[in-house]
Amino acid sequence: MKNTDEPLFDEGDIKDGSGATAHRAVRERIQQLADEQPYAVLCVQGEGQPYGALVAFAFSEDLRHAVFVTPVATRKYRLLSECDHVALVIDNRPNKPDELMEIEAVTVTGRSQMIERGGEFDQWAELLVTRHPYLKSFVKAATCALFRVDVVRFLHVARFQEVNQWIPSAHS
Amino acid sequence: MDSERPLLIPLDAPGHWDEQIVGGKAAKLAQLACGGFDVPRGFCLTTWAYQTFVQDAGITAAIRMELGRKSMDDMRWEEIWDAALRIRATFLAQPLTRLLRETVAAGLRGFDTSTPLAVRSSAIGEDSAGRSFAGLHESFIGVRGRQAVEDAVRLVWASLWSDAALLYRKELGLDPAHSRMAVLVQEMIYADRSGVAFARDPRDIGKEHAVIESVPGPCSLLVDGVVDPDHWELDRKTHGIIAWLPGQRDDAEDDAPLLESRELEHILETLLSVEQLFGWSPDMEWTGRSDALTVLQARPITAAALDEDEKRTWCLTLRPGDARLKQLRKRVAEQLIPELEAAGQALAAEELNLLDDQQLADTIVQRSAALANWKKIYWEDFIPFAHGVRRLAMYYNDAVQAEDPYQFVGLLRNQPLVAKQRNNAIGQLAQQLAANDVLRSAVERLLAQCAGSLHWPTFRDSLMRIADGAENFLRGFDALNERFLDIVYDQERLHDQPEPMLRNLIELSRAPYASLGDESVAGVSVAALEKRLLDAVGPERRDEALDVIETGRVSWKLRDDDNLLVARLESQLLRALDVAAKRLRAVGRLSGEVHPNDAHVEPLVRALREPTTCPVTLELVAKVRPKDLSKAPPGETPRQLIGQPASPGVATGAVRCIHGRGDLGKFRQGEVLVCDAIQPTMTHLVPLAGAIVERRGGMLIHGAIIARELGIPCVNGVRNAAEILKNGTLVTVDGHLGIVTVGAAEFDLELGVECI
Repeated sequence: MKNTDEPLFDEGDIKDGSGATAHRAVRERIQQLADEQPYAVLCVQGEGQPYGALVAFAFSEDLRHAVFVTPVATRKYRLLSECDHVALVIDNRPNKPDELMEIEAVTVTGRSQMIERGGEFDQWAELLVTRHPYLKSFVKAATCALFRVDVVRFLHVARFQEVNQWIPSAHS
Repeated sequence: MDSERPLLIPLDAPGHWDEQIVGGKAAKLAQLACGGFDVPRGFCLTTWAYQTFVQDAGITAAIRMELGRKSMDDMRWEEIWDAALRIRATFLAQPLTRLLRETVAAGLRGFDTSTPLAVRSSAIGEDSAGRSFAGLHESFIGVRGRQAVEDAVRLVWASLWSDAALLYRKELGLDPAHSRMAVLVQEMIYADRSGVAFARDPRDIGKEHAVIESVPGPCSLLVDGVVDPDHWELDRKTHGIIAWLPGQRDDAEDDAPLLESRELEHILETLLSVEQLFGWSPDMEWTGRSDALTVLQARPITAAALDEDEKRTWCLTLRPGDARLKQLRKRVAEQLIPELEAAGQALAAEELNLLDDQQLADTIVQRSAALANWKKIYWEDFIPFAHGVRRLAMYYNDAVQAEDPYQFVGLLRNQPLVAKQRNNAIGQLAQQLAANDVLRSAVERLLAQCAGSLHWPTFRDSLMRIADGAENFLRGFDALNERFLDIVYDQERLHDQPEPMLRNLIELSRAPYASLGDESVAGVSVAALEKRLLDAVGPERRDEALDVIETGRVSWKLRDDDNLLVARLESQLLRALDVAAKRLRAVGRLSGEVHPNDAHVEPLVRALREPTTCPVTLELVAKVRPKDLSKAPPGETPRQLIGQPASPGVATGAVRCIHGRGDLGKFRQGEVLVCDAIQPTMTHLVPLAGAIVERRGGMLIHGAIIARELGIPCVNGVRNAAEILKNGTLVTVDGHLGIVTVGAAEFDLELGVECI
């Protein structure tokens, strides 16, 4: 006999809104974060030194690529020129410790490449400027570089410790 | 004290009827007190006091962490109970601030220190006209002295987050950030009559009838269902008695009604005055008679609508009170379990081959009926009695206030569980193999040769021929099989399937086999824990405490044994069905390979009773298998699964999912045992496991307790664990944090290396 000394609720019993949210596909939750959050922490490395900086970003519709822009005189530009392995961290933290369990965050890993002017530049610049119109002149400036991150994977964290991985290239 | 946000309001202070400040119960009592009704004197600790306490003690964050760990949709009642227990422990671990202690002291100034008090919940909206949530929150009676009042106040606050309240969290609008609870502290009134009264009959609100019920003694006897009340129906207009139904009480001194007509008249007049005051028909609790009539509580009558969610209602019945638990203990331990054991033994001794077809059909019908009856008893008596362990948990924690809310589990060690006796027998056989390499090699070789289709007589003969010591080993194995494995698991008799157990024995012979539940296991001794509890409750409550411990122990032993004993009965039904199927196959009436189970009782009985040669067919009953979750969206894989930290420690190993009988024999030492729930039939695998991951959550379930005793990391309550995790996958089980990490922390993909 199966050990049934507990009520056998069918899955989905006592539903409430939070449950529906909790079981959404990881991709959908990543998409929501990417849509709702304008800024990400860009993580780069070089000269034995990790480095982080806040950047405004935009994702392509299929979430395989992200773009951001940086002046060329910055540390991040220099480190990006040396090493293309990057990470972006996007989160919705409300800055209230009580709400820890409601925070969602995603760590995006991938390879970055600077988009040269001409060619695909306008297409990727348009993606960023559509989302951040105030960056229009910034993107156009000769001393700014546009970078595209080719995403390898997303690691999505919810409820403090629940982690799921999504690899967009495995998505048909 | 901040006059805008008072922490304390005397019950008779005029105008303080704001339910948001004093809660529903106190608001109505305050209105009654000011309206000239007799109510027990006392004071209310307001919702501001609750708020001050939880904010200062950081409890809001703790509640959020507890309830946010996983979606509450995925939490079973046992997990919700666990969450409520931990929240309760959090409340108990925090002393009242100086301000709150001074506030309580100020409230108590009007009472003698020996005055027994009632400390009652007064939640916002609990007694609204729409719905009554009576019983979801706690109240304490007979509380004496400041410290006891402070303890009771914290427990009443904690009951805002009781398991029952969490089940109704949506209806209650429970929200850690905003929910608050007021507490009423009142003098206890002792009278020889108490009861409830309804201004209108709750079964038929339209009728001009009022209803009065009375018991001898305190009202709690009626509300808790301990004493059957006298019941009257009265005409609201003429006040005449329409009906009187005497209560069924064993100790009734005489058959006279508990109340005289003038006393009933007085209660009815009070009831109608309360109705006039509030403008709604009340349901009133009262005590005392005639001029000494005191109103304990008044709330709008709620129609006796059945809860639309029967499962939740059923959950609430899983918290029987002490009196009911004591009745259950007597019935279960002294009557039912011995009867169940005897029934299994009697059926196992029956020689079925001596029966003719009619007799065999009769015994199948009897066995099926007996099994159905015991399954009913399992749900009605055994499962509610399992609450005895939870009752012990709360009793121990309230008294000892231990930092670890599961410290009491140590009191349950060393119980002579059937599963423990079985595991000891298994351990002895494994030791025989460990001590005799020739015998072990022979068993291994023969198992390799048969590869899944072991024929027991052939295996026996072969082993006897090739290995010294085989006779002793086989005698022990037979004894194990007869005594402990004549049970059904996964719809088949384990008795007939020696191969998985032989394979387990080989593995166990290579592992140091720990005896389950050994007193020597690290931790505080049973005697020391018992002393801790007895010291905490004091000599006055010593007998009560010993009784709660004993009920907890019997309850714990039962929740393991009952499964095995019912499974043994089930096995006897299957044995009779096997004999029937064999006979019908022998005469060519039954074809096909379908293995009979309890779904085939009817066709097999009919065939045995028919004097024809009609062929019989058995429909294949598909085994319930976990749904395939491998069709997760492409590219999505879990990296960290979250559950409950059920046993501390950390271990990495390959996953081995146990879905059914066929998987038992595949288990290898050091693997991570992943299953829906560790059942008493498979606890012998636990000492082999590197770690345990279960879908079913709870700190008091079999897997968690055994893992803790053996020091094996265990995370349970992991949603769909046995479906998400695949055999062979490397996982790290962190039993400290309740995390299962899937795979290694690699960056191969980022380097352009294909790794999935």
